[in-house]
Amino acid sequence: MPKLRLTLGLKGTELEQPDRWEAQLRKGAVEMAALASLWQGRLYGLEIIRYLETHSQMALAEGTIYPVLSRLKTEGLLTSEWVEAEAGHPRKYYSLTGAGRERLGGMATAWTSFAQGLSRLLEPVLNEKENAK
Amino acid sequence: MTMSTEMESYITTLRLHLAPLTLSEREEIVMEIVAHVRDSAEQSGATIESVLARLGPAEALADQYRDGLLIRRASRSFSPIVLLRATMRLATKSIAWVFVFFLSVFGYAFGAGLVIIAFAKMIIPSHAGAWVQDGRLVDFGAFVSGIPSSAHEVLGLWMIPLGLTAGSLTLLVTTFLIRKSLRVSRLVQSRL
Repeated sequence: MPKLRLTLGLKGTELEQPDRWEAQLRKGAVEMAALASLWQGRLYGLEIIRYLETHSQMALAEGTIYPVLSRLKTEGLLTSEWVEAEAGHPRKYYSLTGAGRERLGGMATAWTSFAQGLSRLLEPVLNEKENAK
Repeated sequence: MTMSTEMESYITTLRLHLAPLTLSEREEIVMEIVAHVRDSAEQSGATIESVLARLGPAEALADQYRDGLLIRRASRSFSPIVLLRATMRLATKSIAWVFVFFLSVFGYAFGAGLVIIAFAKMIIPSHAGAWVQDGRLVDFGAFVSGIPSSAHEVLGLWMIPLGLTAGSLTLLVTTFLIRKSLRVSRLVQSRL
């Protein structure tokens, strides 16, 4: 459907390049991951990056997270405050707003049911790969 | 605290490319990035240069901020300049937006044109309006001259209310359409 491609800004080659496909997939999950990292309390940018690395093996290009945080803040899902640190410079801490918690809850439900559905779909593919070994 | 030369030049480039943002937005971003670089270097023992390399080029970083803010600001704005700028930026990313951009330019120009003709009709009535000859439109505009004597004006002073109404409506519809397009594709575009 050419119209759909235009609106989504996708290139036709996307499916032929697995790396790009994976990159797109990651990119789409970044917002949810950033929100999820703040579920238990406020963190500053670098802590969010480290948190995602240790808890989800999600290695982000470091520059990716900051514009995402700025966008989520403008959308009212996050708030931020500057906190003076012992490091000698203030750090910008982010925390979830009520709307952010609500959105993340919705995302978690949608994501889980989507992933479960896809896992069922991919089961035969993975089984076959397993048997071939 | 002193900054290394690499850091200074990175921040200068970042500031330069964040120019379309407001001063406070820009300085907040710069402060956060500076804090990130210092923390990252201190905590991991990496050099400033390697932390900057991991952040990616300052231009690319600025672009990610700029696109998002430009589009979000535009989707709340009524200013033709703000709206056209966002449309133009998006037109560099997708063909559909090139179409929206040209349509917007046309809409604004046509709407403004009608309003100008209406005002011109108040000031120089004999040089503004629509003239018809043998059932064909021979001239339509403001500040027109050299109209053939056989042509006759069709709208007369009606040009004033009609031009104002049709012109304002065109401008409104154009604005509405751009905002609608921005809102519809905002989620998708914000991921660009």
